[in-house]
This record gives sequence, C-alpha cells and structure tokens, in this order.
Amino acid sequence: MSGYNLRVEDYTKQNFSKILKKIIFYTVAILVIFLSVYFIIILDTDWHRIGSGEGILKQLSYFVGLDFKIMPYLIKPAFETFLMACLGTMLGLIMSLPVAWLGAKNVTPLGLASFSFARMLMTISRSVHEIIWALIFVGAVGLGALPGILALAFRSVGFISKIISESIEGADKKPIEAIRAAGGSGFDVMYYGIIPQILPTVIGTIIFEWDINIRRSAVMGLVGAGGLGLAFFRQMHMSNYPGVTTVILFIVGLILIGEVLSHYLRKRII
Amino acid sequence: MDQIYKRNNAKNFILLSLFFFIIYLCFLYLGIDFQRFFSALGNFGKLIANRYYPVDIPYALEPGYLSSILDSIQMGYLGLIIGVIIASILAYLAAANLTPSKRIGYPVGKFLIIFARSIHETIWTILFVTIVGFGMLAGTMALTMYCIGFFGKLFSEELENVDMKLVDTIRSNGANEFQVFAYGVWPQVKTAFTGILIYTWDVCFRASTIIGFFGAGGMGWYLKRNVLQLEYARTSAIILSIIVLVIFSEALSAYMRDKIYKETQ
Repeated sequence: MSGYNLRVEDYTKQNFSKILKKIIFYTVAILVIFLSVYFIIILDTDWHRIGSGEGILKQLSYFVGLDFKIMPYLIKPAFETFLMACLGTMLGLIMSLPVAWLGAKNVTPLGLASFSFARMLMTISRSVHEIIWALIFVGAVGLGALPGILALAFRSVGFISKIISESIEGADKKPIEAIRAAGGSGFDVMYYGIIPQILPTVIGTIIFEWDINIRRSAVMGLVGAGGLGLAFFRQMHMSNYPGVTTVILFIVGLILIGEVLSHYLRKRII
Repeated sequence: MDQIYKRNNAKNFILLSLFFFIIYLCFLYLGIDFQRFFSALGNFGKLIANRYYPVDIPYALEPGYLSSILDSIQMGYLGLIIGVIIASILAYLAAANLTPSKRIGYPVGKFLIIFARSIHETIWTILFVTIVGFGMLAGTMALTMYCIGFFGKLFSEELENVDMKLVDTIRSNGANEFQVFAYGVWPQVKTAFTGILIYTWDVCFRASTIIGFFGAGGMGWYLKRNVLQLEYARTSAIILSIIVLVIFSEALSAYMRDKIYKETQ
C-alpha cells in the first residue's frame, strides 16, 4: 500500500482535485437546470394559452366534484382492470420461466449464446414502455382486454425473469450437487434442488410485480385496451371533468386495495 | 405415508382444476376469444415481420427528431430536480421516526406520496395538458409528480431505517431540527440518497420518452404522430431509438450507482 509514504502535499493535492471535480460537476448540473428552464418554461411554453392564475384556477375548478351517475358504469371496468393485471402477471410469469432458465449462468443449456439471448429479451421487455407494448398489441390482436393482458405480460417478463435468474444463480450449490450425484436428471435438479430455494423470492417478486401491474393496467385503455383507462379516456373526451375525477378516484381506490393486499400477502409469505 | 401422499395429490388436483376454471371464467368475463388468444403470438410475429420490420432508421437521425430527444432529456431532468426537492421534504414528513409532527405532517406526507404514486405518469400528463396546454411544461409537471411518488416512497423507506441512536444523541445534546438532520440523518442516508436519485433519473427518463404521446413534448409526440399516420417503418425506428436510449441510460445509471457504492465502502 502506498498509504505509508503518502505525504501531506499529495493528500492535499488529491483533495484539491477531488473538490475541483465536485465543483465542475455541480456547475454543469446547475447549468443544465438553467438550460432546461430556459428551453421549457421560456421558449416552449405558451403563456398566453395558460393566461393568468385565475385561468388556471378556473380550469382546476372544473375538476372539483364527483359525477355519481357514471359510478355504476365504472364497476365493471374496475373489475376488468383488476383481472387484466392478475392475468397479465400470470402470463408474464409463465413466459418468464423459460427466459429465466436460459438467462441464469449456471443452468443455461447452450452457454454464452442462450445466456446473452435471454438477457437481450429481458432488456427489450423492460425498456419498452407498457404504452408502446399496448400499442403494438392493439395493432396485432385488436381492441379489448386481450392486448392489455399481453402488453402487461410482455412488460413484466423482463423484471420477473431477471429476479428469478439472479436467484437461481445465487442458489446454494450443495443440494444441487447432491441430487446430481444421486443420479437425478436435469429436471430433478430443477424441481427438487433449485425451485424450493428460490420460491420465496419468486413469490415476493410476483406480488410486487402484480402490484405495479394494477397501476399499469389502469392506463392500458388510453391506447385501446379495456379497463378504467378507457373510461378515463371517454370522460376526458366528453369534457366531463367531474367524471374524470370520479374515474381517478376509482383508480386510486383500486391501487390502494392492491397495495394493502400485496402488503398483507408478502407479510404472510415471507 | 402413502395415503397422505394420495390425499394431497387429490387435493392438489382439485385446486389446480379450480384454478384453471377460475381463469376460464375470467376469460369469459373479459370477453376474450380463445382462438384469438392462442393466435396472438403468431399475429404479433406477423405484425412485426410485415409492418414494423423494414426499420426506417434515417428517420430517427433527422435533426427534428434528434432535438426532440434533447427535449425529452431536459423534461426528465427538470422534472427530476423539482420532484426530488419536493419529495425530500415530503419523505422527511412521511418517515415515521423523524417526522416533526406526527399528527399532521406524517399523514399528509404519506398521503401525498401515495397519491402521486398511484396515478400513472400518462394520466398525470393528460391532466396537466388540460390545465396548462400542450407542450413541455405539462410534461415537466407530470414528471415532477411521478418523481414525487417514486423518489418519495424509496427515500422515506430509507429514512425510516436510519439508526435512531445517533439521532437521539444529537437531539439530547440540544440540537435543533435542522442540526439533527444535517449531522444525524444526512450522513447516514447520503449514499442511499444519491443512489436513489440516479435510479429515479433513469426511471424518469424512461417515462419522459413516452409522455409526449399524450400531449407533452419530446419523442412521444413523434411517436403519436407516426402511429396515427400508420407509418409503421417510422414508428419502429422511434421505438428502436427509445430502446437504445433506455438501455444506454440504464447502463449509465447502473455504472454510476456502482461507483458511488464502491466509493463509500
């Protein structure tokens, strides 16, 4: 170690360069803030359209109040949203099992080729936003709840399979070796050696993803899949602002139910 | 032993068939045609191969589109900064162990974070577009709300895990609320704060690529235009560019977080 013959001058020099780096970093960060403020708030904003503070308050006041008449028509979409999230997560889990199997370094069958293929699938699944997935699937299978389910499934594959393959990689090797030494096949190793070890993590992940999927499925309707998003879209286009507030209230309620349920389930399992 | 095994087996079988029956009922309720469901993957492949495949890459390199990428980055950045400033205050209020007022501050902070979090960023965008009009300002506001929800939740959880012994020591020595934060809490959460900040930036950028679809500026606006014009080759070029940018930002944020955690250890 060079720590023994490090002189005071060296230390101060190091410190100085560190401070300089920090100063440069913060200056750039603040400059970028000013630049963004300039571009967004000064150049791009149409202040005439916004008008005075009064105008904004007036616009906001449209949203105050609830439309009780549409409430009965929201129960079915709310249930639909919920089911879409459940089925999407389930389908995502089914699809992510093979991907996770390919993407775990210690069990992947074809070495680097299948490993990198699976990693690529995971990255694509995670980096495409759910709205884009929904757009693609609405084009592929038509309107309704089905494209929503497929979009949620494809979006969830990345996260679920990443967690599963990471926990497969981190699994204890001893039981696996024991099963292999006793003459177990690859399936036996998977079923008796790996799955019992990773099950708690996987279930926790699925509940987490399900919770997020409820949130996502509430906006699937904006691009043509069903659920509360569609109701929101309709109310917005009819300019029925109290109705919009009602739909948002339903969405928040649904998500709160999902959050409470997932909290309870995770506590019970882990 | 054998009997238990058999009984378990029968029970499992019943449960499994019940499970499939429930899924069948769900499909009926949602009005999903089974034929359509099983041909979905084929249709998806066909759509990608026939419509999206010849990717119009030159379109993604046009100056107009490239400047929209810059717009998206700026929206994400400004939304992140404002959101994180608000979210830090709310998170401090919403951390059960540190909150200055348990009666008012805690529920208000908690509620605001949950509220911001439970509404999807696209819905925030639509709402702000109706209030302030099309453009990047609405997008920035929507991303601010998104960041409040995302950052606030993660950071308040981090604040709740703070070692209270240090905080109590400083407080019992007569420090005021600000000193307690500066010398007792901040050193403990500094690394986590930076890590979460970078992660939030990554997620926020990902959201900023899409919110233009609903009227905020940036790449999403180009996406919307080309989707409505049924320009599949251009749409796929935009989607591809989004994927590339998101992968890049993810790699960058992972690298920076790694570096910061290594530096502190």
